[in-house]
Amino acid sequence: MSILIQALISGILIGGVYALIGIGLTIIFGVMRVINFAHGDLLMLGMYATYYLFAAAHVDPFLSIVITTPLMFLCGAFLQKTIINRVLDALPQNQILLTIGLGLIMSNTIMLAFTSDYKILSTKYSSSSMHVGGISISSPLVISFAITAAITAALYWFLLKTDTGQAIRATAQDREAARLMGINVKRMSIIAFGLGSSLAATAGALISPTYYIFPQVGSVFTLKAFVITVLGGMGSVVGATLGGVLIGIAESVGGVYFGSGWKEVVVFVLFLLVLLFKPSGLLGKSRT
Amino acid sequence: MARYVRIALITLALGGLIVLPLYVESTYVLHMMILIFINVIVGSSWNILGGFTGQYSVGHAAYFGVGAYTTMILMQFKHVAPWWGVWAGTGVAVVTALIIGSICFRLRGPYFVLASIAVAEIFRVSALNLKNITNGAEGILVTEVPPLTVGKTLITDWASKVPFYFTGLIFMVMIIVVTALVRRSKLGYYFQAIREDQDAAHSLGINPTIYKNTALAISAVFTSLAGSLYGVYVGFIDPSTVLALDLSVQIVMICIIGGIGTIVGPVVGAALLVPLSEALRSNAITDALIKAGVVSAESKVGAFLKENLAHAHVLIYGILVVIVILFMPDGVIGFFRKFGARRRTA
Amino acid sequence: MAILEIRHVSKFFGGLAANSDVSFDVNEAEIVGLIGPNGAGKTTLFNCIVGYYPPSKGEIVFDGRRMNGLQPDKVCKLGMARTWQKVRPLTNLSVLDNVVVGALRRTSSMKEAREHAHEQLRVVGLDTKSSLSAGALPIGERKKLEVARVLATRPKMLLLDEVMGGLNPAESEEIIQLIMTIRTKGITQMVIEHDMKAIMRLSDRIVVLNSGEKLAEGKPKEIVENPQVIEAYLGAEE
Repeated sequence: MSILIQALISGILIGGVYALIGIGLTIIFGVMRVINFAHGDLLMLGMYATYYLFAAAHVDPFLSIVITTPLMFLCGAFLQKTIINRVLDALPQNQILLTIGLGLIMSNTIMLAFTSDYKILSTKYSSSSMHVGGISISSPLVISFAITAAITAALYWFLLKTDTGQAIRATAQDREAARLMGINVKRMSIIAFGLGSSLAATAGALISPTYYIFPQVGSVFTLKAFVITVLGGMGSVVGATLGGVLIGIAESVGGVYFGSGWKEVVVFVLFLLVLLFKPSGLLGKSRT
Repeated sequence: MARYVRIALITLALGGLIVLPLYVESTYVLHMMILIFINVIVGSSWNILGGFTGQYSVGHAAYFGVGAYTTMILMQFKHVAPWWGVWAGTGVAVVTALIIGSICFRLRGPYFVLASIAVAEIFRVSALNLKNITNGAEGILVTEVPPLTVGKTLITDWASKVPFYFTGLIFMVMIIVVTALVRRSKLGYYFQAIREDQDAAHSLGINPTIYKNTALAISAVFTSLAGSLYGVYVGFIDPSTVLALDLSVQIVMICIIGGIGTIVGPVVGAALLVPLSEALRSNAITDALIKAGVVSAESKVGAFLKENLAHAHVLIYGILVVIVILFMPDGVIGFFRKFGARRRTA
Repeated sequence: MAILEIRHVSKFFGGLAANSDVSFDVNEAEIVGLIGPNGAGKTTLFNCIVGYYPPSKGEIVFDGRRMNGLQPDKVCKLGMARTWQKVRPLTNLSVLDNVVVGALRRTSSMKEAREHAHEQLRVVGLDTKSSLSAGALPIGERKKLEVARVLATRPKMLLLDEVMGGLNPAESEEIIQLIMTIRTKGITQMVIEHDMKAIMRLSDRIVVLNSGEKLAEGKPKEIVENPQVIEAYLGAEE
């Protein structure tokens, strides 16, 4: 029983990070209707940036977010302006292939630059854990959950209370209407992609003390991000938040019941079930 | 292009391919041709589902792997000769396709793409975990391919590359013929109608489910043949090579880069990408650059290239896909066709 | 002889009744005009008839056969074909190939299908453009192409949804002539149209829908003098 509770708790904690990844992807889809297959690779870039800041300058991974997040925002914005913007009106299949290609460029450039060797970012607290009521919880996970919660709260504030945030939401709801209301939808797309990228990279930074770092690590997270956004409803930030936590739990608990080799399958089967029976997700708007 | 010219060219090409092993002794060239054949087969197979019918599966590795594993398991563990095993492989592939189709074809566009990826990943992880059947991550190694005899005559003992070359050539000719036949037939018209507008096609008397599954089944059969050939030829398979997402992506790329929806497109795509990646892998390009004096062997650039270009073929694929989608969405073939058309009107 | 019987058909979307207890018949070789203000439920009724979605209540009987819940391809096989309010050409195929797709409904021989397709293109006047890509046609010709395409399926009955929408008077006149030609082939037609003059010229009978319900049914002269119909049109936004 306590194994189950432990799995539940670590599932929730990692779910917070998953939520960040999902929120980033859902914002990109919501505003631009682009399915970003390079999302996991943006996360991977965040991981590498964090690793090298730590290795070269001893910057604590959690603190380095202050650098990585804005940096990746600019990267994402740049990508959108130069490349993604050109395919906004193309067939969705072509958009997917384009972002797949971009992802391959990212992961393989990193591989050329830094080799495929698995890197480990070890801090003093990487393997330490807290003990609460007989249950052992990984400390880095708790810290990243706390940071995630803070970032998510800030994001909600941004989307609900600021002009730009509301403009983004308007664009996500109805691009044409937003344009007619005077919103600069091109600028919103750039911001959305920048935002999505920085959230993915931040998630990468947050998990770098506890995950192996290697160039191909992105693809696993891309797929997970899609499961999360589809589960929560493509375009819904709240949905992605819930979806992230749910997937974290499903994976963790599934790993306990079916063995850790099968926990990916649990996630994918869940994905297919959602796609088949409720493709608009828990909270999503239905898309034509 | 005039019909007779086309027939003449095809006959010439086919004749050339048939006699090539007589004149070319280099095992390296034979190896590359076999890889090209395999790539043409998977690209053309995908084309039937993706190019003609408009269903972009990015999970075709599932059929490649199913073919490879069925043939290899039967050969290594049950001592069934591969020339029977490959057909068992196609049978399993069709069943797999119908199951996958019944799940995925309810979805459209990007959701279909995502579902196809998820399904293929389920296959890959299952192959990793079901160690009793597949040997898991250790993979299956070929210890011996039984000799092929007809009556008392030995046809081949599979020791050289030549029998694999001809097997690949035969399979490739098969898929190209099938593609050509399909395109001119009712099937082909219905496939393309579904691609253009599924609801309009539905209202014209076309049952989308039946035809999408038919396209998928044809596609799966030939992809699995390619997988079986690959397995027996290379001699070793594991989930990370024959069931990988990378492979699915590569299959799509061959078709997209060459020219989607055309018969010649996948051929061009394979003929471009395979030599390119082999050239990168073998450092041929780096050596050529050094010989041409563009880069000096001692310089930092030279050293970097020498060490790393070998691993860069996937990077090049990625760059090519981005370039093609941005600037040549109809692939290399489409680009030259448009170029030719513009010159004619000029 | 009624070829199509609509019996108490209702269609709900959530709480909204797009069609409410609609009943009328269409006789063989007739042209029935289906009119009503925007949002009256005309296209919804068409969609129910062709199986795009099933009616929530009621029955649709075509040629003696109950059609509720049949898929669109089966409906087409039974002889009922429709054109779309927003034209749906198979853009990357040629004009001829578009019609061949329709012709393949009735024959598996490619040769026969092509000949039949050419014939339909001649009927609508597009035969000279058969090798052009469908995407290259202007809107008027796209509408004609769509008619040729459904004619190729050898229908017993055609549902034409605003086939004159967006056309100039010359193009509309061509369509009117086309509809009359189709009638001479014995094909029954039900036509949704906003162009009142065209409807008056073409229809043997007219059915008026308003807010999902059948408001009136009868010969054109009767409908035009019906006070409820006049009120529905003057009272509603057009």
